[in-house]
Amino acid sequence: MERNDAVLKATGLVLAYGRRIILEDVNLEVRSGQFYFFLGPNGSGKTTLLRAILGVLRPRTGALWLHPDLARLERIGFVPQRCDLNPALPTTVQEFVLLGLVGTRASRKEETGRLEWALARVGLEGMAGRDYWSVSGGQRQRALVARALVRQPSLLILDEPTNGLDLSTEDTFLRLLADLNRKEHLTLLFVTHYLAIAARYATHLAIFHSGRVEVGPRQEMLTRDALERVYGVGVEVSTDPSGLVGVRVCPAGGDQ
Amino acid sequence: MIESFLSSWPLFHNTYLAGWLIGLLLSLVGVLVVARDQIFLGAAVSQASTLGIALAMWIGGWAATDTLPWLRSDGFLSTMAVVFSMLAALMTGPGGDTGRESHEARTGWVFLASASLSILIVSHSPHGLEEIHRLLASSIIGATVADVWAFGALAGLTALATWAAHRRILLFAMDPEMAAAVGMRTARWAAFMSAWLGLAVGLSIRTSGMLYTFGCLVLPALVAKNLCREVRPMFLVAPVVAVGTGAVGFVLANHYDFPPAQMTVALLSLLLTVAWLVPRMRRGAR
Repeated sequence: MERNDAVLKATGLVLAYGRRIILEDVNLEVRSGQFYFFLGPNGSGKTTLLRAILGVLRPRTGALWLHPDLARLERIGFVPQRCDLNPALPTTVQEFVLLGLVGTRASRKEETGRLEWALARVGLEGMAGRDYWSVSGGQRQRALVARALVRQPSLLILDEPTNGLDLSTEDTFLRLLADLNRKEHLTLLFVTHYLAIAARYATHLAIFHSGRVEVGPRQEMLTRDALERVYGVGVEVSTDPSGLVGVRVCPAGGDQ
Repeated sequence: MIESFLSSWPLFHNTYLAGWLIGLLLSLVGVLVVARDQIFLGAAVSQASTLGIALAMWIGGWAATDTLPWLRSDGFLSTMAVVFSMLAALMTGPGGDTGRESHEARTGWVFLASASLSILIVSHSPHGLEEIHRLLASSIIGATVADVWAFGALAGLTALATWAAHRRILLFAMDPEMAAAVGMRTARWAAFMSAWLGLAVGLSIRTSGMLYTFGCLVLPALVAKNLCREVRPMFLVAPVVAVGTGAVGFVLANHYDFPPAQMTVALLSLLLTVAWLVPRMRRGAR
């Protein structure tokens, strides 16, 4: 896949659970190398769209196109919101990460190479044999990313992966993702409801509200009008000389 | 002791072989049950199988022997045992939660309903009541050559499937959400696993009774869980524990004239206690 190739396109997509329509008329194009954030309040349909992209939820109507490299899911990595692993179950970092290879074809030698590469990329080199339950919460979160990376994906999908992390671990984790996006040209879809994270790292945004999705580059999307419409509160948006976008919620009835 | 066991071989070889093969089959299935934290489900499925047998005996008592002789055959009892355990496994498996009832609540309901109904149904039939008590108490004496072949085939198929698809099975057992995300059809996997569990438990109950079936389903996997650092080797350690303990249990039972099923389950329980204690003692010594 070349840089800037279309990775996925959604056209007029309608997603529903039974009779309940969650998202309507979703039009979205994600290109290779983009760090795309799905942003919106809880229950606005972000995870639903992810499920459709992963093929778990079939669209009611509309078209969802994936690059042929991704059509068999082999080159898609997924980091779930939480991993409900039975804590009484014995496992090592290595066994946990290698589970990510399900659905891919690799020889034993390739598997070892991929494991070492994935662990090195997330800073867990030398920890393959460690008991999964003896490592810290932050390291487990990295192991989750390594489990997705071991597939050597072209597209990495992360569903609110920073939930439950402390500030320092969250910062390290997000820098790691930005690094992967920059150095490995990995396309990232990151679901969150934290505006500050999106403002700092996104190249593009999809903002979910009232069953609709508005999409565009970060600069176009992080505007006072757009954010006030979505969140229903006053916000102030500023950009510092380095290009870093700052968003502040203004107190009701106040100027700021 | 060994000589005495070998001398009993011509008379009891089907019992011994069926017992070990049941141990092999159920210990493999049991790794999944333990990995998915569904130990109580194993008890409920075993109990539901007993209800199937009780119902088959009740139907057999009503049926006219000359027109429907099959309703009084062992085949009908086995079929009902398998059907009821499969239904119970499908009903109580996670993922099929309906309304406000969790799968644990449904598992409890299946266990209690099956336990009470299986006794009520045969309570006015002395033979039926005796048979249900025999199943609950477990006796593997009397296994046939057909049992040996059936459990051999099932154990072989289970071992082969575990070897061929171990990573998919592990991912499904450990993290079904991720399994769905990488393209596994988790609903089908859950249904297939439940059906296989029901088949294995249903057939085993008929031959070996509830205690031996439930014991072989959960105890070897729990011992393996305490001995292994990863889930994958549990698929090797659990069968070794089941068959090894079965061998020792049968030899001891033969020598001291104890019931072999109870002896094996007691040894497995003892082994699990040791497996629990050893790591704690090691940690304490450090």
